[in-house]
Amino acid sequence: MPALLNIEAVSKRFGAFTALRDIHLHIGQREFVALLGPSGCGKTTLLRTIAGFSHPDSGRLLMDGQDIGPLPPYRRPLNTVFQNYALFPHMTVQENVAYGPRRQGASRREAGERAREALTLVGLEDLGERYPREMSGGQQQRVALARAIVNRPKLLLLDEPLSALDLKLRKRMQLELKHLQEKLGIAFVFVTHDQEEAMTMADRIVVMNAGRIEQVGSATEIYSTPASRFVAEFIGDANLVDYRVDAQGRARLALPVADLTLPAPDASDGVAVLRPEHLRLVDAGEPGQLRAQVRDIVTVGSHTLLHVETDDGMRLVARTPGLPEAHLGVGSRVALGFDPARLHLIGTPR
Amino acid sequence: MNRGLRMPLAMLAAPLAFFVAFFLAPLAVVILASLSDTANAWTLEQYVRVLADRYHWEVILVTFRIACLTTLVSLLLGYPLAWYLTRMVRWRAWRRVCVILLVVPMFTSNIVRSFGWMVLLGRKGLLNQTLLDGGLIDRPLRLLGTETGILIGMVYVLLPFMVLAIGNALSRLDASHELASADLGAPPRATFFHVILPLTLPGVISGCIMVFTLAVSAYVTPALLSGGRISVLSMLIFQQYSSVFDFHYGGALSVVLLIFTLVMVGFAGRIGRTRGDA
Ligand SMILES: Nc1ncnc2c1ncn2[C@@H]1O[C@H](COP(=O)(O)OP(=O)(O)OP(=O)(O)O)[C@@H](O)[C@H]1O
Ligand SMILES: [Mg+2]
Repeated sequence: MPALLNIEAVSKRFGAFTALRDIHLHIGQREFVALLGPSGCGKTTLLRTIAGFSHPDSGRLLMDGQDIGPLPPYRRPLNTVFQNYALFPHMTVQENVAYGPRRQGASRREAGERAREALTLVGLEDLGERYPREMSGGQQQRVALARAIVNRPKLLLLDEPLSALDLKLRKRMQLELKHLQEKLGIAFVFVTHDQEEAMTMADRIVVMNAGRIEQVGSATEIYSTPASRFVAEFIGDANLVDYRVDAQGRARLALPVADLTLPAPDASDGVAVLRPEHLRLVDAGEPGQLRAQVRDIVTVGSHTLLHVETDDGMRLVARTPGLPEAHLGVGSRVALGFDPARLHLIGTPR
Repeated sequence: MNRGLRMPLAMLAAPLAFFVAFFLAPLAVVILASLSDTANAWTLEQYVRVLADRYHWEVILVTFRIACLTTLVSLLLGYPLAWYLTRMVRWRAWRRVCVILLVVPMFTSNIVRSFGWMVLLGRKGLLNQTLLDGGLIDRPLRLLGTETGILIGMVYVLLPFMVLAIGNALSRLDASHELASADLGAPPRATFFHVILPLTLPGVISGCIMVFTLAVSAYVTPALLSGGRISVLSMLIFQQYSSVFDFHYGGALSVVLLIFTLVMVGFAGRIGRTRGDA
């Protein structure tokens, strides 16, 4: 299937500051893509560029093969859910939602009909006569959603749409949004800086940093095979271990475990990632183990994080399911084991 | 008395006393005078004198025509000007210069500025001279002593109020509403009429009310630019108080002006409430 949106070599500078560098991204029909990255990495700028509110200095935007770069925002076949919702305060909910179809030339009746339909989809069919200020944050969020889908765009852009909601409502809206997206068959580009949100909702996650795309992939891919040190550290907890590549092309890890070598991805030295859940407590005496001292124990309920320091001063985190065993305390000596196959070696960034 | 109430009441006392002494008392004096005759007997005779006379109706009509036109012209000039200042000026220093140019005349005497316009609008004034030299007209326009002349002077004096009121509303507008409108398919024109104008309507209304009330009660500008040919209510009132010394009749004229003005402002306020409440 051809891509719905092709972002080709898009760059954007604000004065001396580069907000987007050479962004290449393809978004498929009906795909749910999450843009994930730390604050200031350019997520909003990329979204504004797609919507037409910001003009790239170079690069092209193709939608269904057509160059939408020259089109003003009001001619682009896509809609946006704004972070602060941006509902029109002087219009009722019904009028807010009918605004899109009205501007697209629908008759008052037809626009009203379609607005009611969209409001029904988000479960607000009874509140059409209210004004936005008379609604809760969650309800306003739904109105913004209804207003953005009423024109049935092929692509919906959402800029941190759930960030103003409390945790519980947020979890519920995540699922609702996902279902709505599948039901309508609209492609979503969803900005968030919450990795859990990105992982529960998206088909593909785009990890951004400092105006660049670091990695694009499914939740599993970016978690188990991060493409860069940044991604490994940004997504979940990670133990990073340096390695050197020897003359035989084997990666030799800087871990106090004898004879641990792995096939290196390329010729240069790099870092390996070991997720905390792959480090486990073992009985002393097993081969291939690390000896360490417990520095800190953090109990989260469903699991426990053990912060340890190995005998040669390397700090690692291990995650064990459930509550910590009674005999473990700060200062305890432990032995840790892991399956070398779980180590992911990050090659030189391209 | 409840102890918790004493403090706030004490704090209110001073402004309340000020309001009574300087606003309500003079108004009461004027109203009482208007309801009595020279012998200090109660009567409505003053109002009959005012309203039964066709001449007064004409003056009222001229007064309100000038005030309405001043408001309208100020609005039509003020909105684009406010737009330019808040939206188009990128360079902050230039915006500051513009605002200063707008506000500084408000600190100079009205009389000085109106005399200035007398010079500019005269038969051989700068305006006529320029138009003649430019070949746009072949006979000098008569502006001094016409309603047009008064209108020009009034708009000049009152325009800043309109620009500041609208500019304030425009600059407080949340930019995301315009983006949302464009995103939903509205070209700039539609966005202006469906989103920006309704959202700045409270500013427009307050600018109009300010300009209108100042225009309807203006004395200096119409008096100087009328050339003695045109009378507005404030000039009649001034005459009664300053040269005829008929405080009863002058009071009645003032109350008539006040009531007409309040009715107009009430209307405008109502439009603002039903349409611009946001
Ligand atoms: N109009 C602008 N002028 C100058 N710099 C800008 C402008 N817009 C954005 N920037 C800069 O570009 C960078 C990226 O901004 P952007 O809003 O895209 O970040 P973001 O990834 O959305 O961050 P957040 O998660 O905080 O919303 C920031 O460093 C910001 O300061
Ligand atoms: Mg952002």
